[in-house]
Amino acid sequence: MKIFVTDGTVTAFFTAVFDAYREKNCVITSDTRVQLSFDSEVIHVVGEREKNKRVQNAVYKCDRQAVDDIVLALRSGDPSKEQTAFEYLKKLLEIKSPISKMLSLPQVIDFNETVRRVTLEAHRLKGLLRFMESREGVLYAPYSPDNDITDLLMPHFAARYNSERFVIHDVKRKIAGMYDGHEWITGYAGEAEIYLSEYEQAFKNLWKKYYNSVNIKERPHIKQMKGYMPVRYWKFLPEKNGK
Amino acid sequence: MIDEEKLEILVEGAKYDVSCSSSGSRRTNVKGGIGNGAVSGICHSFTPDGRCISLLKILMSNDCIYDCEYCPNKRSADVRRARLTPDEVCELVINFYKRNYIEGLFLSSAVFDSPDKTMELLYETVLKLRKVYNFNGYIHLKGIPHADSAIVMKAARLADRMSYNIELPSEQSLKLLAPQKTKQSLLLPMKGLNGAIEYDKQNKVRRGKVLPAGQTTQMIIGASPESDGQILRLTEALYNNMKLKRVYYSSYVPVVKSNKLPTVGAGLLREHRLYQADWLIRFYGFNVSEICEEGENLSPEYDPKCAWALRNMHLFPVEINTAPLEMLLRVPGIGAKSAYRITETRRFCALDFDNLAKMRIVLKRAKHFITCKGKFYGSDSYTQVKCSLMLAAGGANEQLSMFSETSTAVSALTGEL
Ligand code: SF4
Repeated sequence: MKIFVTDGTVTAFFTAVFDAYREKNCVITSDTRVQLSFDSEVIHVVGEREKNKRVQNAVYKCDRQAVDDIVLALRSGDPSKEQTAFEYLKKLLEIKSPISKMLSLPQVIDFNETVRRVTLEAHRLKGLLRFMESREGVLYAPYSPDNDITDLLMPHFAARYNSERFVIHDVKRKIAGMYDGHEWITGYAGEAEIYLSEYEQAFKNLWKKYYNSVNIKERPHIKQMKGYMPVRYWKFLPEKNGK
Repeated sequence: MIDEEKLEILVEGAKYDVSCSSSGSRRTNVKGGIGNGAVSGICHSFTPDGRCISLLKILMSNDCIYDCEYCPNKRSADVRRARLTPDEVCELVINFYKRNYIEGLFLSSAVFDSPDKTMELLYETVLKLRKVYNFNGYIHLKGIPHADSAIVMKAARLADRMSYNIELPSEQSLKLLAPQKTKQSLLLPMKGLNGAIEYDKQNKVRRGKVLPAGQTTQMIIGASPESDGQILRLTEALYNNMKLKRVYYSSYVPVVKSNKLPTVGAGLLREHRLYQADWLIRFYGFNVSEICEEGENLSPEYDPKCAWALRNMHLFPVEINTAPLEMLLRVPGIGAKSAYRITETRRFCALDFDNLAKMRIVLKRAKHFITCKGKFYGSDSYTQVKCSLMLAAGGANEQLSMFSETSTAVSALTGEL
């Protein structure tokens, strides 16, 4: 079996699709820890502009929305995301018209689920992201999302805090989105050193006080709280992490 | 900066107001300003009671001249009192907002000095937030009964939403438990605001619209003897006549001891059933008369849609591939999303039972009410159906599963069915 390994970029994915499309039995992945069986052959794919464009065009002709959806799916933290997107794409090219609502096809169900998880997390994090203020007045929000969603969050916060400067830092992927009060960019960012504003702790404490006061103790419903606000996000929430 | 004790007092006094939603306003930010409205609403945290925190919910003051029986802040209560200045509120809002703790402000107040004075200070606070602090996030203001309508209207031009709380579902109960409030002091301002909203709509006003997110209200359930049937009729009238966006129900929690009040709370299940019935009225085209007789209460065993279906077994089963959307919505266990997915998917191919299962449509309850390509998988025995409906919806445990689709969970209080 051929295993096409990409570097995780969109271009490399579509290039891999170009190369893998006619293969009978193959897998596309960006996960370098893939389990190899004795008959597998690894092919490293480097993104090629031309192949990328040709596949995207072909997809676009079948469904104008599909390229965007595939790009969203590729933001997923699921190691089989490329394969899921590949299966979807193959089905789309076979049927030659939009398939996103054909929920009787397993490829569509899997793909939609992958996209849904990405957009769900982005929606959740619009609420659960927490900023702190630095001495210079820059807002800084470290987080560690399941999916690569920093680019999805930036426009939301840039509209909201349009005259502030802020940084959203995915500490797991070492990616930061930066907004300078005019426009935003994303790029590599390892460690960040930050000196907090002298008021930061006081507002954190007020927030924690608020959180504890607004709760109705007579009506505990912990399961529901955790359902909406999974424990893995608590690390960065002042009301939950005890800091 | 306000101190923590003051915050605690003024939050404790506001927290039983359940309207937490921040949705429905598309307010955009301006250059140099901070904040905007998200149409879909955003939850920023969840408390251990399972409720969503979206807004900073706080009282301007808890020092009340009124004496509503059920209220912990009533004049005759012996509690700590506190009052905030407009600047203190603004500073807190801006700093919480910047850190992304909140989506906006829900500002309410006890009636101090006089209704006009109170409303005036609420207005001043909102004015400052908007004009001095350039805040464009969401603001929900509580309306003060008996306050001058001119001040109310000025405030309504700056806020996204306002609410006059009905508090109790009948005039008698209001007289008994909230003697200084009258039905008219709550309904008249509501009517006035609705008139202004309608005027803006008809004249296509775009900037500075009155209350873009409309009005809501809240009722306390179980502090007074009204039946669910009565409550829901009032609800329906409020949706029809006042064009309210939401009616909230807050099951009574006995925080204040009084011989005019029951000693036990109403319980969450009753509140939950009311939200479910409310949902059926707003989105699924049900009339109150189909859901509940005037003097009756909703069934605790089944959700109101199941109860309706059990009374109308002669309408079922319906064929999943041909039933109109309105009918699919009436099938127990099929919600709006599933119904929509079914109508979309069946355009491409006839659906069988397996397809539905793969589409993750929960069939535990629905199977007794549908056929797929003519095949029926449910039970013919009425008692068997009743029994499985009851088991599929297990009382208090049902709540999480009801709300478990977090993607749409703007508020934990929707009652979506
Ligand atoms: S008006 Fe009534 S409900 Fe409102 S704070 Fe005063 S006593 Fe409480």
